[in-house]
Amino acid sequence: MTGEKDTIVHIDNVTKRFGSVVAVDQLDMKIMAGEFVTFLGPSGCGKSTTLRMLGGFENPTEGRIVLDGVDVTSQPPNRRDVNMVFQDYALFPHMTVGQNVSFGLELKGKSRPEIERRMTELLDFLQLSGFRDRTPDQLSGGQRQRVALARALAPDPKLLLLDEPLGALDAKLRGQVQIELKDIQKRTGKTFFFVTHDQEEALTMSDRIVVMNAGRVEQDGTPEDLYFRPESRFVAEFIGETNLINGTVRGVEDSAVILDWNGLSIRGSGHGHRPAAGENVTASLRLENVNCHNKKPANQNAVEGRVVSKLFKGSRTSLDIRVGEREDSVIRAYMDAGKAAEIADDQLWISWEPERLTVLRD
Amino acid sequence: MTRNTRILMSVIYWAFIVYLFVPLALMVTMGFKDSKFIGFPIRSWTLDWYATVIQDTEVLSVFGYSMTIAIATTILSLIIGTWVAVFLGPNQFRGKAIIFALACLPAVIPGIISAIALRIFARLIDIEPGMFAIILGHTVHNVPFVALVVMARLSTQPKSHIEAARDLGADSIVAFFRVTLPYLKPALIGAGIFCMLLSFDDFVRAFFLGGYQPTLPVLIFAKLRSGMSPEINAISTIVLIMTAILGLWAERSMRRLNKGS
Repeated sequence: MTGEKDTIVHIDNVTKRFGSVVAVDQLDMKIMAGEFVTFLGPSGCGKSTTLRMLGGFENPTEGRIVLDGVDVTSQPPNRRDVNMVFQDYALFPHMTVGQNVSFGLELKGKSRPEIERRMTELLDFLQLSGFRDRTPDQLSGGQRQRVALARALAPDPKLLLLDEPLGALDAKLRGQVQIELKDIQKRTGKTFFFVTHDQEEALTMSDRIVVMNAGRVEQDGTPEDLYFRPESRFVAEFIGETNLINGTVRGVEDSAVILDWNGLSIRGSGHGHRPAAGENVTASLRLENVNCHNKKPANQNAVEGRVVSKLFKGSRTSLDIRVGEREDSVIRAYMDAGKAAEIADDQLWISWEPERLTVLRD
Repeated sequence: MTRNTRILMSVIYWAFIVYLFVPLALMVTMGFKDSKFIGFPIRSWTLDWYATVIQDTEVLSVFGYSMTIAIATTILSLIIGTWVAVFLGPNQFRGKAIIFALACLPAVIPGIISAIALRIFARLIDIEPGMFAIILGHTVHNVPFVALVVMARLSTQPKSHIEAARDLGADSIVAFFRVTLPYLKPALIGAGIFCMLLSFDDFVRAFFLGGYQPTLPVLIFAKLRSGMSPEINAISTIVLIMTAILGLWAERSMRRLNKGS
């Protein structure tokens, strides 16, 4: 051991084909013990197939799945130390909450007192003690979700799979459950493998996000990495709102990339990626990273523009600013409603920190 | 809907109700008539016919015989029908439509044809006419109904239920008995009651496949031939009330179970 966290799951070069359709294409990654990993992507990107392969519900066409050092590729779901929270919760309707939670423990051959102890402990932990003798149809959506979580945690799995478990909850409850889930994950120290198409959910809860598209990994990193330093156009557009700027590289200077955009010279950052001079590239600039000024600021990265629309959105105001004649030369900026009011004239200057303008790899 | 069609519809409806219930009401009424002859006018009333039925050991033993056949048929039909439904279940495979059609065929073959065929077959494989042969005949006829009802219910079970059971450590057999079978309970109760009634009510198959011991419908038929007596009305009324109670109870408990899931 080198003091690093242990690998709990190794997805070893896994490919899954359904007929001629490639659902997952040579996925190779390690998941560390205690991590909250989210697989994020649009429907059909292969995230659910990956989850189902980890659960044992699909067999990889190629590659291996190694769980805690043991190759489980060909093991059926009932033999794996992996449990799952299903999208529709899949609670057994004819069993009470207590019986649902005990189910996995019974099948593991635990003794009656042990089952009782563990079940009571989990119901307490998830604030479900009062619901022990109710059946699932007597519970609210949020309670059902917690029962599903308790049931999956009961056998003490090495990996917990969560398949869009918040999809069925209303927006208000979802926010609350996100915090709860993150908290439960921290307190249990379990490895969570979460699958969602909701970028906000992913950003809120995860230690690490894997963005998938068309069966391949687009980017794998922390929520901050993905948000501020997207590597591809897909990631930049999929997570949050952004301005995409098409320019030509003039040169690279230390960490800065100098772009020609509409004849203007602007500065961005490659974050380790160094494009060659003359290359046509796309760069991403988050809406909240655009600063607006009444007068020309003392900043290298300042461009003059004209406000073409101004939309009040409550906590913030969104400004569309035209800085050139080309199609892509409208920059959208988010501002404090108060600050936006200070912008008196339609003519203004915008600027940004060079490291906030991320030059994308493709 | 115009006013006139509404009136017409309700007239037709009530005419149907009258047509349905008047014969039943007549039959029940005649069972209380203090005379050997069926028909109006009724001069005096009596419960004697019911007393006769209850004391008639032949009627009682035939009733028991019919019940035994019905219960055995139901158990066999439920087991085989459920097996067929699960086997045909959600998976697609070659020849599924043919197997399904074959399994359903006994439900649509005319009773008289299948009765004669079964009689010949029973003789061929040396099964004595009697209880066992009748049970086999009824089971063949009932299995399609069970299979259809169970398949309908099975198709509403979310796939994730079975996956969740597998995920929590159940192999496919344990998952079936602990998760799928309880889910099928309302369908099994409904199909079971239906089997009981079908078997209890059957005349043609029982007549062809039976031995010396008659089933209740066969006994009533025999009694009819020796002359209509209010005793038959009394027997029929008892059967009517029992089956109505059974049917209503089944309907109620199915609705309750369906709501619970």
